[in-house]
Amino acid sequence: MGFFRNIRSIFHDDWCSRCKSQMEVVRKQLYALPDQRVGHYKAHDDAAYYQKTLVPIEKKAQVPTGMYACGMHVYRCPQCGHQAVKLTVFLPVRDEEKVEQALYFEDGEMDAFL
Amino acid sequence: MCDGPVRKFNFVYLLAYIFVPIAVCALCIGIAFGPFRGVGAGAAVLTVVPSLASIAWWVGGGRFLYSRAKKRAEAELKAQGVNANQIFYSRGWSVFVDVAGGQVGLVSFWNPFKIFLIPASRIQKTWVDDGVGGVAIFKGSNRVSFLLQVDNSNVRVDTFTSNQRFAPNSDHILTGISKADTWVEILQAAKQNAG
Repeated sequence: MGFFRNIRSIFHDDWCSRCKSQMEVVRKQLYALPDQRVGHYKAHDDAAYYQKTLVPIEKKAQVPTGMYACGMHVYRCPQCGHQAVKLTVFLPVRDEEKVEQALYFEDGEMDAFL
Repeated sequence: MCDGPVRKFNFVYLLAYIFVPIAVCALCIGIAFGPFRGVGAGAAVLTVVPSLASIAWWVGGGRFLYSRAKKRAEAELKAQGVNANQIFYSRGWSVFVDVAGGQVGLVSFWNPFKIFLIPASRIQKTWVDDGVGGVAIFKGSNRVSFLLQVDNSNVRVDTFTSNQRFAPNSDHILTGISKADTWVEILQAAKQNAG
């Protein structure tokens, strides 16, 4: 049972990496990434970059045309209390989204920012 | 620097681009089979070298002149005090915009000897063409561009082109649309500042 659950957890972003339980979303926030523009996107993996550059916004319509945005989901495992942050960097284009990167921070890299 | 009507083509250049190499090749081949008849090496050189030079010209000559024109445009605009802080290089056109000053510079691939500098107020209309056509699974596009209408002629600047067809929500098309939308906003801002 545990083996199959481990396999299934690979395909579920919102499952706890430690106890394989489904995590709950405790916070959602949308941010603009003012220094990332269409045609000039540079991928970043370090949490420090996002802590420095993310600008909170209310809704997608507030993101200027051609500017990248970032959706943040904060997950918490109800079983073991493990916390993870998922950042999805995307380019809003009219009604669509062009996803560039999805990042997971599971070791508290974003705790100071939260 | 030209502030007259924006023209995509310089027809003399276009005809020369196509026909001058053909004429040179024909002349050299004529010489090779005339005065040089029987002189093997000379005839071979007169046949092969102009042909290869023509192919090289058709493949890279236009691009070379266009890239020189873009660099010249940047320098000349700077010299004229135009702060071209927004620049878009496309295959057919290069656009230089001084948003605060309300001025637009244009260089065409097929008219590389003229740099057009016009007040943005002369832009009558700007819009995005996503090129999407077809129905159901055939719906798609291979070209996204933004257009500006100046002096009743349309300047089409491609933000994405491909020899393949992509779905309207594919990454390539979305990136092209985003760039085109951004440029339409830039041009509109320049137009507003031009008064």
